[in-house]
Amino acid sequence: MSEPVAQKTIGVTVNGTTYEREVEARRLLVHFIRDDLDLTGTHVGCDTGNCGACSVIVDGTLLKSCMMLAIQADGALIETVEGLGADGDLHRLQETFGEHHALQCGYCTPGMLMSAKALLDENPEPTEREIRRAIQGNICRCTGYVNIVEAIAAAAEAGT
Amino acid sequence: MTETSAPTSALVVEEQETRPGFIGTSVPRKEDRRLVQGEGVFFDDVKRHGMGFVHFVRSPYAHAKIVSVDVARALELKDVYGTLTGDEVAILTDPFFEMSVPPGSEIKDYALAVGKTRFVGEPVAAVVAATRELARDAAELVEVEYEPLEPLVDARRAQEPDAPILHEDAGSNLVWEGVFDWGDWDSCVAAADHVVRIKELHFDRFSSTPLECSGCLVEFNRGTGQWTMHCNHQMPGIGAIWMAPALRVGTDKLRFVTQDIGGAFGNKICLHPYFVACCLLARKLNRPVQWTEWRTDQHTANAHGNERWFEDTEVAVKADGTLLGFKTSAIDDCGAFPRYEPLGCIIWAQVTPGCYRWQNVHVDFTQVATNKSPVSPNRGYSRMQHLWFTERVIDIVANELGLDPVAVRKRNYVKADEFPWTTPNGCVYDSGDYARCLDIALELVEHERIDERRRDAESRGKLLGVGIGSTLDSGTNNFGQSQLLNPDLQFSGNNEVATVKLDIFGEVVVTLGTVPQGQGHETTAAQVVADALGISPDEVTVRPGHDTYWNSHAGFSGTYASQFAVTGLGAVKGAVDQLAGEIRTIAAAVLGGVPEDAVVLEGGFAKLRDNPEAAIPFMGIGAIVNANNAILPEEIRHVTLNCRYVYVPPFEVPDKERKYGNLTLTYASQIHVCVLEVDPETGAYEIVDYAAVDDCGNRIHPQIVEGQVHGATAQALGAATHETFTYDEQGNLLTPNFYDYHVPHALDMPPLKTGYIESPSPFTSLGAKGMGEGGGAGIHAVCAALQDALRPVGNPIVYDSCNPPHRVWELISNPEESRGRVAVESR
Amino acid sequence: MLLASVEYARPRSVDEALSLLAANPNGRALAGGQTLVNVLKARIAAAELLVDLNDISELREIRETDEGLEVGPMVTYTQLARAEEVHRGRPILGEVAAQIADVQVRNRGTVGGNVCSSDPTNHLPPVLVALGATMKVAGASGTRTVPAEEFFLGVYMTAVGSGELLTGISIPRREGGDGFASVTIGVDGTCIVNAAASANGGVRVALGCVSATPVLVEVASADEESVRAAVGAAELDPPSDIHAPAEYRRQLARVVATRAARQASEAA
Repeated sequence: MSEPVAQKTIGVTVNGTTYEREVEARRLLVHFIRDDLDLTGTHVGCDTGNCGACSVIVDGTLLKSCMMLAIQADGALIETVEGLGADGDLHRLQETFGEHHALQCGYCTPGMLMSAKALLDENPEPTEREIRRAIQGNICRCTGYVNIVEAIAAAAEAGT
Repeated sequence: MTETSAPTSALVVEEQETRPGFIGTSVPRKEDRRLVQGEGVFFDDVKRHGMGFVHFVRSPYAHAKIVSVDVARALELKDVYGTLTGDEVAILTDPFFEMSVPPGSEIKDYALAVGKTRFVGEPVAAVVAATRELARDAAELVEVEYEPLEPLVDARRAQEPDAPILHEDAGSNLVWEGVFDWGDWDSCVAAADHVVRIKELHFDRFSSTPLECSGCLVEFNRGTGQWTMHCNHQMPGIGAIWMAPALRVGTDKLRFVTQDIGGAFGNKICLHPYFVACCLLARKLNRPVQWTEWRTDQHTANAHGNERWFEDTEVAVKADGTLLGFKTSAIDDCGAFPRYEPLGCIIWAQVTPGCYRWQNVHVDFTQVATNKSPVSPNRGYSRMQHLWFTERVIDIVANELGLDPVAVRKRNYVKADEFPWTTPNGCVYDSGDYARCLDIALELVEHERIDERRRDAESRGKLLGVGIGSTLDSGTNNFGQSQLLNPDLQFSGNNEVATVKLDIFGEVVVTLGTVPQGQGHETTAAQVVADALGISPDEVTVRPGHDTYWNSHAGFSGTYASQFAVTGLGAVKGAVDQLAGEIRTIAAAVLGGVPEDAVVLEGGFAKLRDNPEAAIPFMGIGAIVNANNAILPEEIRHVTLNCRYVYVPPFEVPDKERKYGNLTLTYASQIHVCVLEVDPETGAYEIVDYAAVDDCGNRIHPQIVEGQVHGATAQALGAATHETFTYDEQGNLLTPNFYDYHVPHALDMPPLKTGYIESPSPFTSLGAKGMGEGGGAGIHAVCAALQDALRPVGNPIVYDSCNPPHRVWELISNPEESRGRVAVESR
Repeated sequence: MLLASVEYARPRSVDEALSLLAANPNGRALAGGQTLVNVLKARIAAAELLVDLNDISELREIRETDEGLEVGPMVTYTQLARAEEVHRGRPILGEVAAQIADVQVRNRGTVGGNVCSSDPTNHLPPVLVALGATMKVAGASGTRTVPAEEFFLGVYMTAVGSGELLTGISIPRREGGDGFASVTIGVDGTCIVNAAASANGGVRVALGCVSATPVLVEVASADEESVRAAVGAAELDPPSDIHAPAEYRRQLARVVATRAARQASEAA
């Protein structure tokens, strides 16, 4: 599509379900996910792309959805926190987060889980430093990250 | 081994006995399942048909007259639903209730700027449109004409004759002033061997910046005049007290609905101006109206923590290092509008001597308004500022007199066998063992090896420093302390409410008066209920969040000030004990008319102690009372199995003359030790070892307690190293977002070691103490460690709470400047 | 917070992209979006058209040549950090790219974006200047090459003019050793001061954050005293801001320059 457009009907597949919606070119992907698709697990925490609460995986790439336009995601496969579990079962990361008290208010948690998932998908046996680097782009104000790092390490140990 | 009287020795990690039941164990949190699946309900997740989105037009000036506001062009834009201006607000509402005495009481505070703007970012008008983007576009079309005035950004200048006056109605920038004088300062100075004088210490502005910003979705019911606000207000009780008179309605017309809140830390207490604006818009436009605060707005125009200057401090010290007393002048900067202030002017007095046995204290306290963001009770509220001060004082005294920082603290700490300890102004520290906590912390960082580590650091060109931070979490306020600021205020005591009921199918349901933001209230309440009823926490339903329409609550309900374990769980315990009694009453009658104490509750059944096979399941009890009461003897038909309990702590109104009395019920403590290495070429430093030891009495849920310690430490370290809300001379905030306001991420955090002891509180039903705020121990420890590290390079004095690399470099390159702040007079 | 209304196009080739930019003087190239989208959200900059370059695969390649490396402008920081060619040929590029921001930003942010935004605190401009890289700029009138030293014209200003695109960066083959040092806001955060160095007998040190554009200092020897003296003599115009007063930046510049130079000469 090389003709300039101000809006477009886009198709995105999120957690396996395909949606078609008309969007303004300026619409941010995070607002598209939250407001147009009613998938409110992905959160907004800042306006400068620093906090990572909006982190999702697009075509296999972990990114911050507040710095991508929805129109850029036309045709993409998107994974959000709502798609982490399967058939009513929790992803092992979701389990270890609970076991290790890696969440308090839960607001950073969806983004944190997506970053952790992206890490473990690529590096199933991360060191502590690699874990911390993987979530460097996810701000948490409640936990001090101590238990989050433990939970990710525990999930790594639990394996597939 | 749970003590209910002052313990002779505190329980230590190694000696921990397992208590029976769920209290004291780290059960899985009820909140987690929904939150890890992204199924939490935060206010911005709630949608309403036809809702409009609010965008506020905000002042670009720190201080200016508002000449005119013209919304015409904004209204021309398609799908803009309406606007609100200060003129409308001034007609439709009354100014918010002020807590101070004159002149502070004369300040007029409205939902939008009226006539004048007093801080950059202050909302001046509001626009509502069909989408977030349109509201943002329309806001740009609102034309506001300003006449800039000179801004006041230095609190120390606020009372100079030529200082700009923020509030003409008050005629002064003074919000409150008073003198606190306990013991006998003059005598203790006379008895001192040394008087250490410190010119100026500064506690910086920062805040806990919760990840979820503030906001609300407001609906107005025209038929009933009821406003419903899906929001994240953490203290709806006081929210309603401010909003209702302003809107000229009763508090019952304001329904606050919260479920999940993404952190608050005291930053979501003073949301009433924004909420009133949204209420007016919802009513005016006859549609639901939603406002979500942007991060930049949270930093510029929500609330900061109090900034405080300590001027001309004097400390009286004996030769052996005993601290006799201190004198200081405190100037507190509360920003453009007081709101929850001037309470900060007394709240610090909950911990007047810090952890120490000072007897003679004199504080001249002044609070002033400046053209900066208003403040709110940020985590550690007012105690943190004061505890930082006491820790700086003791550290500087030790430094100047060549005393060992560990020894001088142990000499002056309140000792374990001296609890309950009454402070110079009548507060009662319930229990603790600060020296023990310090020893554990020192052990965790292998303090005996510190010299070796210092030499190793030196060989790598680094300066190693070790510092101690002692702090207290005073919890469960006596709001009577407000009368020490303003004798006309009708506030005293405290309360919290809970209800516990047994439903027809045997379901146990709890509602809380508190408004949780991640502290695990659903879980800990379930633990208390489970233990009292002999069931498991999984069998207890705790309604998530707080809805003022449905949850029973009282004047002080909310989640703030490190008190839930005492007030919230105290209310839960009271309610469930009542319910347990009622279950036994019914069971006793049904199981053959036996006395009530013959019945025990176990495994979801009410059984006869002596014949456990004679048992009724809870479902049976519930069914009888709800649907089959004719089978009950008349005298027990009043039993409802729906129990409401109001926990009221045992307070009295303090003595206003002497400013004396017990201001808080419990005192949790934390002792931290920080080991860091400074790069003298750059001033950058790295924390290489860190220990935090806490004592909050009996721990209801150890994992939750530890999580609070971790989180408080991280926030304190952020405040110590980078986080500061600094303004330029025009009153522009230089750190308005997360790009410039750096909060710690996972790579910034040092290796964190924790330990704990349990000194049960003699004053609470569970022996637990409120905790969570953490008193800023990390700030105190980092400051002390920096001072220790820099001793070889000119012995500068650390005088500011926030020490980013450039400040450390300044201390290194010009130690005389900071040393000039300290003088010792020895007799 | 939210963008103003804008149009969007997604060309498949460089020529298409250039036509769109030429036809729309208020158009901006959209690369990773990690800077531009934020700037548009804050409405500090305006654009009527965003020309998304993400479908132009030829801009995303890394090639080894006899002269060194050819790096496409749409190569992301993650790609650069992981590329075998970079690791073999000029590893400092990958090492520095790996320090930029965080995982999410590295997965989308591009070399071209970093270079063309010419933010004084960016990592890559001083690196490319120190390495003596050359930029390829394409426009309606053809392609020209611009040495890195002449590419950065000011804060947010580069030699890429209206209607033009950066289409490639040529990195000369490594002859000696390279280094990079910085002082940042938090670990791996925004740079307060940075310096890149390339040593081969003498040393080229490019300082960042101390002027509108990188300042190149060429020193005959990489020892600490010489580097300090050279930096001291250089014309710096460091800003004062919340993170560092100007004088502190000057001090830091001397320190990071010597550290980068030392790292470079040890790697040579």
